[in-house]
Amino acid sequence: MSGRRVVAIFRRVVQEIRRDHRSVALLLVVPVVMTGLIAFIVREGQSPAVGAVVVNPAGPPGLVVAAALGAALEADGGSATLVADEAAARAAIEDGSASVAVLLPAEIAPGVAMTVTILTNGLDPAGEATQVAAVGRAMLAATASVTGMVTPTIERTTLYGVPSDDPMAPFAPAILGFLAYFFVYILTGISFLRERTGGTLERLMATPVARGEVVGGYLLGFGLFATLQVAILLAWGFGSVEIPALGPLPSFSVGLGLPIAGSPLLAFIVVVVAALGAVSLGIFLSTFARTELQVVQFIPIVIVPQFLLCGVLFPISSLPEILQPLVGLMPLTYAVDGMRQVLIAGADLGAAALQTDLAVLTAVAVFFATIASLTIRREVA
Amino acid sequence: MAVQAGQSMAPDPGAAVRASDLVKTFGSIRAVDGVSFDLAAGRIYGLLGPNGSGKTTLIRLLTGMARPTAGRAEVLGVPMPSRAVLARIGYMTQSDGIYPGLTVGENARFFAAVYGVRERGQVDDALSVVDLADRVDAVAGTLSGGQRRRLSLACALVHRPPVLFLDEPTVGIDPLLRVEFWAHFRSLAAGGTTIVLSSHVMDEADRCDELLFVRSGKVIARGTGRELRDRAGTPDLEQAFLSLGADVGATR
Repeated sequence: MSGRRVVAIFRRVVQEIRRDHRSVALLLVVPVVMTGLIAFIVREGQSPAVGAVVVNPAGPPGLVVAAALGAALEADGGSATLVADEAAARAAIEDGSASVAVLLPAEIAPGVAMTVTILTNGLDPAGEATQVAAVGRAMLAATASVTGMVTPTIERTTLYGVPSDDPMAPFAPAILGFLAYFFVYILTGISFLRERTGGTLERLMATPVARGEVVGGYLLGFGLFATLQVAILLAWGFGSVEIPALGPLPSFSVGLGLPIAGSPLLAFIVVVVAALGAVSLGIFLSTFARTELQVVQFIPIVIVPQFLLCGVLFPISSLPEILQPLVGLMPLTYAVDGMRQVLIAGADLGAAALQTDLAVLTAVAVFFATIASLTIRREVA
Repeated sequence: MAVQAGQSMAPDPGAAVRASDLVKTFGSIRAVDGVSFDLAAGRIYGLLGPNGSGKTTLIRLLTGMARPTAGRAEVLGVPMPSRAVLARIGYMTQSDGIYPGLTVGENARFFAAVYGVRERGQVDDALSVVDLADRVDAVAGTLSGGQRRRLSLACALVHRPPVLFLDEPTVGIDPLLRVEFWAHFRSLAAGGTTIVLSSHVMDEADRCDELLFVRSGKVIARGTGRELRDRAGTPDLEQAFLSLGADVGATR
């Protein structure tokens, strides 16, 4: 062991990293910015004011409770409005004019046990849970203010039925969409970079091939593998195959068996379109990288903000107001929403929300494919 | 331009490759600095000059890979860049430019397909020309350096181009392979192929039909090896290059 040689290697490492400005930034600046962003989201995150509609079939005693509930919600900046019946309440949730509906029981009297049903949209389970909790607290405060009232039992339901008690169910749409996007981006970015650094792109450009043909071929090639990946991922996620007991082996099931309300084929289409956008993004960003390390260095810039803002980790409704406009700019937001529409709401191709998601994802894929083909440097298109 | 046209002979209408006052600047660096020449079909031309003299940039301008800052490059009578002419140009880059994960045959067939070659026989021909016919199923990444270089040449020949640009084709290959390469070049030229190659190795320059000395982005002399040696009054090309380029080198 020679101290001098260790020092020589130490100096070499320091000199090399110091000259690689991106690595320096990755080490020193990015963690500060990211922890700052996360702290901002967590600290400044809003518990959005609850806009509740109340259905009261119980007559005057119910009105007393509803008024107390309204007062409790207004104390937190929310509101409660009476509507005629459950159908009107569902309509208000569906069109977004209310975030929560409170369905009071038919009979409200001192000393009588009552069950209050709280209805939400259901698409954003984590975000809605905070709202339901807020209404639950307000409900307790409201009943406590009326003498002799029994503490109500609160039941939760959504537009699409009672939420699954599978703790993975709220995360599944977002996680499945995100993973497919992420891996396809890394794979494409690195292999297109190899084409640039290996000299094959230069040679390819000296042939009559058109830039659009190069990007088109890449989209097809990586699209094939993205399709396979998504197919396996979704089969694993939604499938559940019972393997019968065999000899000493007990029976077990393969697959996560996640609940899905809509068509698995539609879920598949949503993720594949999102993944094609990731292929184009990978080709485009490889322009700005000279080494494979640099493709990886784009992750904190390209992938992490999407991860933080698309609703995978933090419910979109709880993000700080300033960040809300960015949410709409993240392609993953539409992938995650599309997956929720299919998995939770059971949307079909006729659903406007799903159409929007698919249209945006397609537009993103086409946009990045176009600028990717423009960034392939060549004098003849 | 008028002055230069007056100095040179009447432009050859059948020139395979023509440069007219070509200039390419990168910032303040003039990588190619006013180059004009006509190259006739079926001959082998050597662009000779030290590293950084502008040979590669010149080849990139002639193949249409880069757009000139000023002037004009023509191949087969068509101004470059032109996609149509690219189908009739073979280009062997300095790096091998082959896919290491594909086999020898897959590499050659890929470039054949991109060039629009339909006959399977042309691929086999190109591979046997470079003596790789028996390695068709070998993965390119496992080949030796010389074999990779040969595959690279085969990929540039697969569409039987009438004009071939070779950027430092013999760098890093052993003397035996170099002799083989030159035999290929000779037989291609005999078949009418125009070959433009770059090199900084003076001792193989004598194998070219004509040499163009490139220095600081300019063509400082042109002629056969013998002519250039006689003009400089030196016994070898290396000294001829130094003596003919003495004034140019000082201006940089």
